[in-house]
Amino acid sequence: MFKPYAFVLPALALLGLFSFGSMALSLWVSLHQWDPLMPEHRYTGMAHYERAVRDPLVRTALLNTLYYAALAVPLVAASSLALALLVGKVRRGQGILKTLFFLPSITPMVVIALIWVWMLRQDGPVNQTPRIVLGCLPQALKDFLGCSHFSGPNWLMDSRTAMPAIVLTGAWHAVGYYMVIFLAGLGDIPREFYEAARIDGANAWQELRFVTLPLLRNTVVFVLVTLVIGALQVFTQVYVMTGGGPEQSTEVLASVIFKKGFAHFGKMGYASAIAWLFFLFLLCLVLVQMRLMRSRRLYD
Amino acid sequence: MDRNDRSTTGNGPTDPLRAGPCGRALRRACPGLLLAFLVLLALTMLFPFLWMAVNSFKTEEDFHTRPFALWPETWTLSTYEQAVTIGRVGIYLWNSFAYAVTVTLAQLFVDSLAAYAFARMSFRGRDALFGLVLATMLLPASVQLIPLFLIVKWMGLVNTFAGVVLPSFAGAFGIFMLRQFFLNLPRDLEDAARIDGCGPFGIYWRVALPMARPALVTLGLFLFLSEWGSFIWPLVILSDTSRYPVTVGIALFRNESFIYWNNVFAASVLASLPLIGLFFVAQKHLMGGISLSGLKG
Repeated sequence: MFKPYAFVLPALALLGLFSFGSMALSLWVSLHQWDPLMPEHRYTGMAHYERAVRDPLVRTALLNTLYYAALAVPLVAASSLALALLVGKVRRGQGILKTLFFLPSITPMVVIALIWVWMLRQDGPVNQTPRIVLGCLPQALKDFLGCSHFSGPNWLMDSRTAMPAIVLTGAWHAVGYYMVIFLAGLGDIPREFYEAARIDGANAWQELRFVTLPLLRNTVVFVLVTLVIGALQVFTQVYVMTGGGPEQSTEVLASVIFKKGFAHFGKMGYASAIAWLFFLFLLCLVLVQMRLMRSRRLYD
Repeated sequence: MDRNDRSTTGNGPTDPLRAGPCGRALRRACPGLLLAFLVLLALTMLFPFLWMAVNSFKTEEDFHTRPFALWPETWTLSTYEQAVTIGRVGIYLWNSFAYAVTVTLAQLFVDSLAAYAFARMSFRGRDALFGLVLATMLLPASVQLIPLFLIVKWMGLVNTFAGVVLPSFAGAFGIFMLRQFFLNLPRDLEDAARIDGCGPFGIYWRVALPMARPALVTLGLFLFLSEWGSFIWPLVILSDTSRYPVTVGIALFRNESFIYWNNVFAASVLASLPLIGLFFVAQKHLMGGISLSGLKG
């Protein structure tokens, strides 16, 4: 009779300890002074939370995190959908295209971040490309456009461009993965809908607007929810590429939690309070998002 | 008449995904143009990889004078040699491999065991427990980082192999995916095994697991890739550089003296090659699995 429990016990014990246990512990830690040099942990009540709400660094990090998500989510969703629509039209050679676009997403983020540190240097390939294009144009056209010289920003060293640069790196990593998900969603749409649309004389745009997109709704919901959760937790690129700078312009919530908890050792209580506020914020956002875009049964 | 029919069925837009905004005259050339455009786009996207690979073969001097040249003055393998000897990338790669294999095998076992029970057995609280398992997917990793560190510290596993891998021995996504797979399997074989006197564990081990092989392979690939790429947890839990996985090793590489960027690129190539190789061997399973994960939305 207790056999089933023996089957689920290892998984439940591990998840219970490392997932629920850690969340509970995090809550407890956030209510205490947590200094590894001091053996006892003084109860501080809500002090850490009150401090976190007023901390300008936390506010900056929250705004930067939202900024990252606001740029990255639409960028990745739109470009991976566009790619999927185009790649889906190709019959011969689709496999190789999928493979090529997918490659960045299996490469470790650390490696990708390191490559892009160099790609984004002032004299790097990202800035070189427009320079080369400009070099090919005839002088008359350059004078007409009023731009004979292009220097380009020093992406990661400038507080205005550092975050967009990190978004670009993240997008490059993610696009292929979401393209594959969109392709799967596209493949599930029954063909009759397209045949009906064609008989009604729909053009390509109408077909996309009134057939593809509405029927792709569940996939879009899944992609958006996953992207938002992932974007709000961005960390690796920031750690490797900018370390939160310049002038805190890329400091995000995950990097603040990491720094407070581990770099300035002994502030684990405060870091946990920030983490819990972040968790509650994320939870509300996800619940609202799921409610707004609840998945529906679209066809049988 | 007969010819006409054949031509309309032959060239007609039978595949809706394929029919584009091309005119009738262009219809033949259009797929080729589209393909060419997409291949060009893909190559542009892969340019950073190419550039990394080229730089990993440049000598230090060459790299410093012309870091953005796409052709090394002289091809050298000394960058790789230095990455392995000074940078100790060989140890890091071995560590990554050991962590990834351990997590993959352990999690496949733990997840499939639980998934089988959730799919095939009935017991009190089953649905509630499964709900709890799924709920863990909502808990963000960055929030769990500090308490996870404290728990592992209390277990005395800081800076150990076990400390790196143990928290990843069970995963909600794997349990969810395998349960889904078991639910869609026919029960006949399992019933036959039961009649032959096979116990629950025997049925799971000898009948259900072999049938679930495709799902296990796909999940295993996912687990291997994600553990190989994991960064923040080993960074936090390890202090001994000889235990670093390759991700942490490379990221902290730059701080070491005698290590130059061309060595970093060589190490990056070494860190990506196993994954790219694995990907080419098993891409069908991988892509199929991603499609599966997208469907649950």
